[in-house]
Amino acid sequence: MKILLVEDNERVSQFVIKGLQEAGHTTDHAANGRDGMFLAASEPYDVVIMDRMLPGDIDGLAIVEVLRKTGKRTPILILSALSEVDDRIRGLRSGGDDYLTKPFAFGELLARLDALHRRAAGVNHDTPLAVGNLHMDPMTRKVTRGERQIALQPREFKLLEYLMRHADQVVTRTMLLENVWDYHFDPQTNVVDVHISKLRQKIDAEFERPLLRTVRNAGYMVTAAE
Amino acid sequence: MTSVIRSTAVSLGLGYFILGSAALVLFAAPLWYAWQGTIREGRAEILLADAQRLTDIYRRDGPEALKTFIDTRVSMQIAGERILLLTDANLRPVAGNLPAWPRNVPAAPGDYVIQVDLGERGGIQAAHLHVVPLGQYNLLVGRDNRLFAPLEKRFWYGLAGAVAVLLIAGLLIGLITRRTLMSRVESIRQTVSAIIHGDLKHRLPTHLSDDELNTLSRTINGMLEQIEVLVHGVRNVSNCIAHDLRTPLAELRSRLEELALIRPPPAETFAEIDGAVADVDRVIRIFDALLRLAEIDAGVRRSGFVPIDVSDLAATAVEFYAPAAELKNIALNFHSDGALPVSGDPVLLAQALSNLIDNALKFAPDDGIIDVAVRRREDGVVEIAVTDNGPGIHDAEKAKVVERFYRGDASRGTPGVGLGLSLVQAVAKLHGSALELSDQNPGLRVVLALS
Repeated sequence: MKILLVEDNERVSQFVIKGLQEAGHTTDHAANGRDGMFLAASEPYDVVIMDRMLPGDIDGLAIVEVLRKTGKRTPILILSALSEVDDRIRGLRSGGDDYLTKPFAFGELLARLDALHRRAAGVNHDTPLAVGNLHMDPMTRKVTRGERQIALQPREFKLLEYLMRHADQVVTRTMLLENVWDYHFDPQTNVVDVHISKLRQKIDAEFERPLLRTVRNAGYMVTAAE
Repeated sequence: MTSVIRSTAVSLGLGYFILGSAALVLFAAPLWYAWQGTIREGRAEILLADAQRLTDIYRRDGPEALKTFIDTRVSMQIAGERILLLTDANLRPVAGNLPAWPRNVPAAPGDYVIQVDLGERGGIQAAHLHVVPLGQYNLLVGRDNRLFAPLEKRFWYGLAGAVAVLLIAGLLIGLITRRTLMSRVESIRQTVSAIIHGDLKHRLPTHLSDDELNTLSRTINGMLEQIEVLVHGVRNVSNCIAHDLRTPLAELRSRLEELALIRPPPAETFAEIDGAVADVDRVIRIFDALLRLAEIDAGVRRSGFVPIDVSDLAATAVEFYAPAAELKNIALNFHSDGALPVSGDPVLLAQALSNLIDNALKFAPDDGIIDVAVRRREDGVVEIAVTDNGPGIHDAEKAKVVERFYRGDASRGTPGVGLGLSLVQAVAKLHGSALELSDQNPGLRVVLALS
């Protein structure tokens, strides 16, 4: 991916750039709103990471609004030290596609960037999904692994659907909470892990190759890769 | 401050005095004017009549007859108020009861109100004189005003007395104002300045009466009560922050310092770094929880109220925790009478519900029972009740468990920072309701009522 990072804090910038580089992405960096706006408007990026509070007279949300008004559809992830729910809503309303509060775990940022990139590539909600020999038809709500049909509860179906739509990508616990349960807070428990292990029981038990994997310090991933 | 009190009291007294005096003068001045006018007119008429009579005698019978007439008149009258004098052209007395022509009266016809020396008959007196020239002679008739002097004196004394009474009353009013009203103001001031210096325990003195100052004092006391609660809350929170953030920060610090000192092999170093990140996450979680609480307390979230279905919200929460309950073999039951629409904050209510179920899961024994029930009461209030059959909470602890960072004996050894029920209570308060804790024998029943 080609990513633009608009962030004034040098340490955070270096940390993000280095991490993205290791993950195989190229990153341009702008340390103020003016450069950020110029780069975002003129260069083609897959995703933009925009800090909300920037030095100078242009603030992150203002840039997002201007980009959207001029017709730029590049996915934007807003970074902010403001964690209140209202701030999150304001960030998304201004045209941002996702919102992440500082301080954040790098895994969380990377997972969300991947999700944004894939979403921008276009999603047909009705096309059948497949990972290895695991198949899901969102229309008929039928799930099969190999020859065997798997019965899922509605929420388990939603959970698996989200994981399969982001196959081969890391999905964090927070992303699952937000997208599967619509919970925008930290329940401070490992309940998500319990849900995952239940789902794993249903789709992976008795199969030689597990598809639903735990990624240490980050989250989960559905993949057919070795 | 003292000078202000004094000046308030003094200006009140002085104002009263000036107002009273002005009223008195407004009353007395026309009276005095009318009185003086009436006397003068009456006198002038009498004197004119006298002069006419004497002039007639002079014209008819000649100066000798007039002289005799005047002498007769003067001898008849012993200490009367009447003044008569007939002089020749050189103003030498010919007849009458004045020793000499008064020096300050000209020998020209006219009316004069003037001080006249009456000689042995009474010294200098105010008198009303009428002068008529009669050929070679000058005639002077008059009345002295001795008769009115005591009356006039009494008038002036009366007026002075009234002014004196006003002055004393003004002084008294000033003093009384100062002693009653101002002393109360002063006591309020002392209390308030004690509060300014940090002692929030003080309250303004109040009485049973319903006067304005007392009502004001009661209102201020109510405000102080609220301020004390808030300040206590803030103090409590900052103490708790100091304690609960210091602990993980201290751990983090020693972990990192040890790493720098010992420089263990890479595998161990990485494990320590993971531990350090977990420590930081713990600090961030506490921060987030506190910020969320502060945000709720500030009441700004009320703007985020939307119509929501409590039944739906509770069903999601129960379903979310169902696998965790299953692991402990706890029966997590849900009862609902159908859709329960209310106006509220969906994120906060979901979080509050999640905290309540999470708490119940922590304290219910293995193979225990947790009931989550939502219903609309007869009075229209929507009630969310979470009941467990765990150890419950002692009555003495019930008030404390909602305090920030408070962790009961039963929660020792369980994860958490002691903010869960504080958040639930704050959410309840934001939605205009209270959190009720009651015993289930055994167990705890927590009710969140949304009006």
